[in-house]
Amino acid sequence: MSDAENPSNPTPDEQTDFEPVQVFDDETEMDLRPGADNCYKCTSCDTSCPVAEVDDDFPGPKFQGPEQWRLKRKGDEDIDDSIMSCSNCMRCDNACPSSVPLSQMHNTARGEYVDEQMDKLSREYIRNRILSNYRIMAEIGSKVPRLTNFALNNSVVQKVNEKVLGITSERDFPEFAQQTFREWWHERGGARVSSEEKKIAYFHGCYSNYNTPEVAKALVRVFEVFGYEIAVPRQRCSGTPMFANGMLDDAERAAEVNVSEFSDLIDEGYDVIASCTSCSMSLRQEYPELFEFHGTAEVSAHTYEAMEYLRIHEDLEAEIENASVEEQSFAYHAPCHARNQGLEHQAVELFRELDGVNIEDVGDSCSGISGTYGWKDEKYDTSMKIGEEMFDHMEHAEGNVGMTECPTCSMQMEHGTGYDIKHPLQLLEEALV
Amino acid sequence: MTETPSVLVIGGGSTGCGIVRDLAMRGLDVTLVEKGNLTHGTTGRMHGLLHSGGRYAVSDQPSARECIEENRVLRRIATHCVEMTGGLFVQRPEDDDEYFEEKLQGCRDCGIPAEVLSGEEAREMEPYLAKDVKRAIRVPDGAIDPFRLCVANAADAIDRGARVETHAEVVDVLVEDGEIVGVEVEHGEKDIGIGNGEPGTREKLYADYVVNATGAWAGQIGDMAGVEVAVRPSKGVMTIMNVRQVDTVVNRCRPKGDADIIVPHETTCILGTTDEEVEDPEDYPEEGWEVDLMIDTLSELVPMLSEARTIRSFWGVRPLYEPPGTGTVDPTDITRDFFLLDHGERDDLPGMASIVGGKLTTYRMMAEKISNHVCEKLGVEAECTTADVPLPGSEDFSVLREWMDEFGIRSPVGRRSAQRLGSRTDDVLGGWDGPNPVVCDCEAVTRAEIHDAIDHSGTDLNAVRIRTRSSMGNCQGAFCCHRMANELIHDHDELVVRDSLDELYQERWKGERHALWGEQLSQAMLKHMLHATTMNRDGDPAASDSNVDFAAFDAGETATAAAGTTGDDPDRAATDGGREGENADS
Repeated sequence: MSDAENPSNPTPDEQTDFEPVQVFDDETEMDLRPGADNCYKCTSCDTSCPVAEVDDDFPGPKFQGPEQWRLKRKGDEDIDDSIMSCSNCMRCDNACPSSVPLSQMHNTARGEYVDEQMDKLSREYIRNRILSNYRIMAEIGSKVPRLTNFALNNSVVQKVNEKVLGITSERDFPEFAQQTFREWWHERGGARVSSEEKKIAYFHGCYSNYNTPEVAKALVRVFEVFGYEIAVPRQRCSGTPMFANGMLDDAERAAEVNVSEFSDLIDEGYDVIASCTSCSMSLRQEYPELFEFHGTAEVSAHTYEAMEYLRIHEDLEAEIENASVEEQSFAYHAPCHARNQGLEHQAVELFRELDGVNIEDVGDSCSGISGTYGWKDEKYDTSMKIGEEMFDHMEHAEGNVGMTECPTCSMQMEHGTGYDIKHPLQLLEEALV
Repeated sequence: MTETPSVLVIGGGSTGCGIVRDLAMRGLDVTLVEKGNLTHGTTGRMHGLLHSGGRYAVSDQPSARECIEENRVLRRIATHCVEMTGGLFVQRPEDDDEYFEEKLQGCRDCGIPAEVLSGEEAREMEPYLAKDVKRAIRVPDGAIDPFRLCVANAADAIDRGARVETHAEVVDVLVEDGEIVGVEVEHGEKDIGIGNGEPGTREKLYADYVVNATGAWAGQIGDMAGVEVAVRPSKGVMTIMNVRQVDTVVNRCRPKGDADIIVPHETTCILGTTDEEVEDPEDYPEEGWEVDLMIDTLSELVPMLSEARTIRSFWGVRPLYEPPGTGTVDPTDITRDFFLLDHGERDDLPGMASIVGGKLTTYRMMAEKISNHVCEKLGVEAECTTADVPLPGSEDFSVLREWMDEFGIRSPVGRRSAQRLGSRTDDVLGGWDGPNPVVCDCEAVTRAEIHDAIDHSGTDLNAVRIRTRSSMGNCQGAFCCHRMANELIHDHDELVVRDSLDELYQERWKGERHALWGEQLSQAMLKHMLHATTMNRDGDPAASDSNVDFAAFDAGETATAAAGTTGDDPDRAATDGGREGENADS
């Protein structure tokens, strides 16, 4: 268990250091003008953008990306503030027929905007900093989960959050678990299966550690059934909420820890598995686009989403066909980031063969919450407008339990329909363990 | 002389526009005629370099001295046309050391500020320079927009009472009693442009003096007058890259050679050039290998060029001239100096002077000297003030404002608008009432700017293009040609708008066809399909002579009502796939 360091004693700077540190020096500053060469303005990205669909003032990914980059000259600093209205769903990446690095351009532009143009004492900056550093908040909150759960969802506190921080009072904060996944893992004594060939390093991310340890536990149990030795190394936030808020310095610090920990394990024969599709997306795509740590490329090449990995390496279809569960019906929503990794059909393809299960895909619309986006007071309405199509389809689906891989999509699904939401790994656990 | 002396200037390039402004400022009655748009000839077909003089510091020091002098003047009077990028003369390991020293010494001799940078320092300035560049000389080269420059000169001249006739081709030089007294022009067939001339008619324009400022075309005007002007037109290719791989002018530091300069120009980079003598300034081969040569050779300086996207290529014709008897064989050796040929003194045919040679950087100085000559001939005493009075758009521009919020445009769009409009930004954007959407996405041109250009250039969308850069970006008008035309439709008749749209579309295609590979091929194909499928540009019925048999598609409302079932009616094609329509049931 040497690899699963107990996180309950973080060093002070890990936990409370909010001071931005300049980690990018000028020489490695990204210049994406050549990336604009690929764009032939077809506008497929704009037509696939869920924000542009509901917000006429949002100029769309083409402007935020290749157009803005092409208009830049050396020394120009003004990035349009609409970059903060991009939800970072990354659908534009998928829509582009010409490999324009759209989300990379957006992430970089957002980082520049926040660095150069955003007032560091503004409510928006402080709010975004807090939201994107969810892990730190969660770390503290989960020490006293009952109190935190009570306090955060107290309507007075919610109103104060909205007024002071601009965090919408419409949403209920996700509850913190009584015991984090890492505490459970520690208590259980770490891995119970050892193997020379089958080794995975689990990137659980923040949410399944602090809020939904049942998902993480399901992953552990399912992979152990298949004979995998599991490592749970020290880890930070994957960076997704930080990219989405232009906090690239924070993201870089977190990524450095993650890359270093996981690339060491890759050298020992492990593959990296995530249960959250945004986490796997981040390690796979955003890290190599934005950072140059030693081992970044290896981590990117060895990272998989959990079910994806099992479908590649195990005969999951056969296992599922021989299994059965209690009668239940699901309304499945594929997260945008799963879509970008080509994973949008896997849960439906797999579970429709599972005896007792009825599963329906609720369509290809975006849930609208996009991580921290839908938590912002001024973005809440946009977020709900984007989500309308999904809510509608969920209500028309036979099942009244939702299913998705993404923690924030699940918040939105629950918020919009009142359904309980499950992670595919939980159903996999029910069927196979 | 009681009447104001009148002067007629032929040629709407930088020289002609400079002269017309200069003379208008001196109070003369001036008319400019140009057969196409302003900048239609050589001026609109240059690489946009504002010379520091460094390029001529070894071979042609008098030109170099003039360049640095005028470089400083233009930075003062034409701020909104100039971007002071700085320039580098880059030495590769295989380039001659001795020449590098000569260049440095030459710059110093001519008063051109020059500083030697190590290869590393040069790459710090321009990270995409080849890793093995040896060293570089930094000089105050810049980028200049020749379109904006000419337009600003012409606009100022018009404000001072000058008449400017574009699309007015000189068809004859009028000679009476052994003296040139004017020209006859033919106004273009189509009603585009800003002139007063009736389209498709001829007009005789008389003047006390005629200036032939037609550059490479000077010989043709000379022929009409019966005098010989032996211009030696020399073509050069320029290739436009989609983005700015460099933000500094990059020159290769070697004696002479093709493909030795990269100029950052607005949103693009322009690669130049070649130097090859041609017979006819309008009819010469434009060959693929010339473009390949640009990219291959300049990739030695900036390797990423070999993979980068080009958006078009164009050829320009230098109006080189050397006095008879000099006998230079290689056009690169011909002086870049300009010559004023007084046909009275030279050919005993008074009333006209031709101006040949020269270059854009020194256009104002040339205009000054010619205007001095004209004034002397006409007995006018007036000082030249063009070196001191800023062009419209380049007046004091100290008050910076938050353009984007106020004018309802996005920040990079606002910034580009302000860079183009200079001191006119407030007037143009602030004076605009109503929604101000972006019309050209690639170059960030808004409706207000388009209308400002239309106000100054009439329905000629190519003239709108050179004023705004609209349609000059990477889609080459695929997404904006028709939007530009749409801005005309309320005030002009449909045929005029169609003609204008056609001309713009054709002009874009002319250069784009030289870049049909890689991304630009996809771009051109997309453009073609979009325009074909939405605007019938592959065969517009409104533009063709034959009638469209609309009945072949649908026999019309009455036929539908009369028909029992759609399937049975032989006159009616089953455009709905044979489905029974609602009308059929009722």
